[in-house]
Amino acid sequence: MAATEMSEAEQIKTFKDFLVQYNKLSELCFTDCVHDFTSRSLKSSEEKCTLNCMEKYLRTNQRVSQRFHEFQMLANENMLALAQKSGNPS
Amino acid sequence: MAAISQLDPAKLQLVQELEIEMMSDMYNRLVTACHRKCIPVKYHETELGKGESVCLDRCVAKYLDVHERIGKKLSNMSQGGDTEDLTKVSLPDKK
Repeated sequence: MAATEMSEAEQIKTFKDFLVQYNKLSELCFTDCVHDFTSRSLKSSEEKCTLNCMEKYLRTNQRVSQRFHEFQMLANENMLALAQKSGNPS
Repeated sequence: MAAISQLDPAKLQLVQELEIEMMSDMYNRLVTACHRKCIPVKYHETELGKGESVCLDRCVAKYLDVHERIGKKLSNMSQGGDTEDLTKVSLPDKK
């Protein structure tokens, strides 16, 4: 991925990922926070819960992403070292 | 890797795109799974607690460990002897 600017296809993909994430977040936080259906409107506690839920999920995602990339880099280094050790097996 | 590099460029790109898609799918599942297991449903706080953070770190490590083991076993089962190639395919170099 040498190009710094995103192609149209990539932009669409990014946007799609965002929407998928958005829907997932709505579902998750709705199921976790809204239990009371005696009223049509969102209670303030429910609203607070949903917004906290969202922010916390994003933080979770961030942390998982950090760890994930660390493992990814380790795996790549190991693969590289292995390939060099075995003298480029083709 | 040897078998893949013999493919023509168009197919190679398809394989690479598939790998990236697979990785991002795996990543999404990882986030969902670890969120379920480590973050309690009570959302009083937006910050991650210390215990939650440590749980997430371990969860990621364990999930990836499981992922790798299952990948190895699957490739063992699917092609008996030559396991190296499939495991390499399942650990793509992400750019």
